[in-house]
Amino acid sequence: MGQVLALAISAVLLAGFYASMAYGLGLIYGVLRVVNLAHGGMIMAAAYLSWVLFTRFSIDPYLAIPVVMVVFFFVGVAMYKGLVRHLPRGAAGGVQSLLLLFGVWLVIRNIAYLLFTGDDQAVRTSYSTASVPIFGNSYSLNRVLVFVISLVAVSVLQLWLSRTYTGKAVRAVTENSDSSTLVGIDVERLYALTFGVGTALAGLAGVLASTLFAFNPSFGSGELLKSFVIIVLGGLGSVVGIGIGALVLSFAEVFAIYAVPSYLTAAVGFVLLVVVLVVRPSGLFGSKVLR
Amino acid sequence: MQVAALTAVSAMVVAGCAPSQSSSDTSKDAGTVPDKIVIGSTLPLTGAESKTGGRYKQGYELAFDEINKAGGLEVNGKKVKVELKLLDDTSDQAKAVNLAQRLITSDKVNAFLGTYSTSLVEAQSTVAEQNKIPYVNGGGAATSIYTKGYKWIFGTLAPVENLATNEMEWIDEQQKAGKLPKPAKVAIVWENTSHGKDFRKGIQEFAKKTGSYQVVVDESFALDGTDFSAVLNKVEAAKADLFMVDAHLPDFITMHRQYLSSGMCNKIETYGARGTEADAKKALGQKGVDYILSAVWWNKQLGDKGLNKKFVDSFTGKYGKAPEWYQAVSYEAARSLFTAITNAKSVDKTKVRDALSAIDIDSILPGGKLSFPADKGGQASYPFVVQQNLPDGSSPIVYPADVANGRGTAPNPGCKG
Repeated sequence: MGQVLALAISAVLLAGFYASMAYGLGLIYGVLRVVNLAHGGMIMAAAYLSWVLFTRFSIDPYLAIPVVMVVFFFVGVAMYKGLVRHLPRGAAGGVQSLLLLFGVWLVIRNIAYLLFTGDDQAVRTSYSTASVPIFGNSYSLNRVLVFVISLVAVSVLQLWLSRTYTGKAVRAVTENSDSSTLVGIDVERLYALTFGVGTALAGLAGVLASTLFAFNPSFGSGELLKSFVIIVLGGLGSVVGIGIGALVLSFAEVFAIYAVPSYLTAAVGFVLLVVVLVVRPSGLFGSKVLR
Repeated sequence: MQVAALTAVSAMVVAGCAPSQSSSDTSKDAGTVPDKIVIGSTLPLTGAESKTGGRYKQGYELAFDEINKAGGLEVNGKKVKVELKLLDDTSDQAKAVNLAQRLITSDKVNAFLGTYSTSLVEAQSTVAEQNKIPYVNGGGAATSIYTKGYKWIFGTLAPVENLATNEMEWIDEQQKAGKLPKPAKVAIVWENTSHGKDFRKGIQEFAKKTGSYQVVVDESFALDGTDFSAVLNKVEAAKADLFMVDAHLPDFITMHRQYLSSGMCNKIETYGARGTEADAKKALGQKGVDYILSAVWWNKQLGDKGLNKKFVDSFTGKYGKAPEWYQAVSYEAARSLFTAITNAKSVDKTKVRDALSAIDIDSILPGGKLSFPADKGGQASYPFVVQQNLPDGSSPIVYPADVANGRGTAPNPGCKG
């Protein structure tokens, strides 16, 4: 029983990181209907920025979060205005946006190879191996902090979407962009804003990842695929669903060790993805619109 | 729709295109000694393995420099200059294969020095075998490369099984000295690669042979894991004495951070070859790597006499830093190929291949001898250098006894109780 509880807590903490990876991808998809394949590259780039800020300027990764998020917000806005905005909308634009953003990812990765080589890097703070006791077991302080920050991020995102004028406008655009234009909402501006916020959230995930893992320029591909599983599980475009999707994925991965060899646990999420797409295409808990 | 597209694009990322390969005739160079010998090679000089590729390049180039400075390679009484034709395979399997094909068929190199990392060597060795050209590599350790019945492939990296066996031999000495329980409970946690499988096999066979070890956990994991809590939980629940892991650096860092923060401590901790590198200490801190046992193919601490001293001095003189095992095994790969050409008195590929099969030379590698035994498919076999990290930052060699400069500590003094 104690072991099950310990694993359950580990799974919840892991879900915090998973959710933080998926918010940005889910938000951009929910509003723009664009699968941001550069998301993994953004997470990797943010991890490097966090590492540079820590090693060169001794800025703690958690204190670096606002800086990184602001930088990545503007990167996202620039990406939207410079690239994504010019893509055709609708089904025809889907493949083009995939290819374009996949290309962006490759460019980011190769720039990282040029700047940082293929060496593995890690951020080691004084508390990197510190632990906190929860119900008699010790857990990594970093994982607890990542979970708390992820929880704060989802709450702020939800409040922004439900309580502010801009957030409500974003939801309106998601429901019907044509009608939103008719009632005077600047749809293009909101698209740019959403792409910026989504990229800033990828930046947040990158900083959090840098506190937990060693990374190199190839980092981010696994994170992108898992993010995709999460947003499908939780319901495409549902912010709260993302949190639940992350929990489902992390529980499935952590507890799968009882049923399958541990090297297969990472594949469990993808099996779940296929099952959900076949049985319930709108996701386990979500609807097709952002809410 | 997007899922299908995403899957397709992802598949494009991971899939390699199998190049078409055609076998060619064996060499037409029997009998005559050319004015210049050209050795082909590819290494990952850019991409994910660029740092390691750069180290292999240094080992190769040092060997070429030495031989050319001595007037060239002696072949049938004639001194011949040797040239290294080295191309960048960018850590890409398909590229490594295509470039090897080009070097062999278009550039008509006389022999081949292999690339780095098991997966690339495995793919490239097929090209060498099909084209019947001597292929010596220092970058592929997996036994799977050498158990295909190939006749043209030779490797200077001893199998990872030896790594596990040598670590177990040192552990066995500690057990016999009463420092570890008998039978000792072993948790084997291995990455799901040929490297990990060989590691696991080494421990399992040792445990079976001695009967003094009980394997209580046997779990593998996929590369680049994000969470090892389930595996670690199993190890903790099994109350293992020996925590024997085989992992690459990123997984070692992620797993060991979780291990430390969950308060775990085992009488013996090892992550295979990991633990002594500066990157590990940087990521985990000195205290985090204290008493970790590790084993590698070569270490500069072997270098205070004979061939080793010459190699270390020569390398340090050229590059201004001490060599690591990467440069040692690549240097030996090149040196063994040169010796084989000299012994064959020809650049005839079959004769060089036969000379490589028969080679038995003094070496800088542990054990002091290098050969490519036929019963191991042409893979060199020698003991690993087992080291243990100490709190003062040093990592003395604790095994084998003939090269040890420290005794090692067991059980881990860092564990409470």
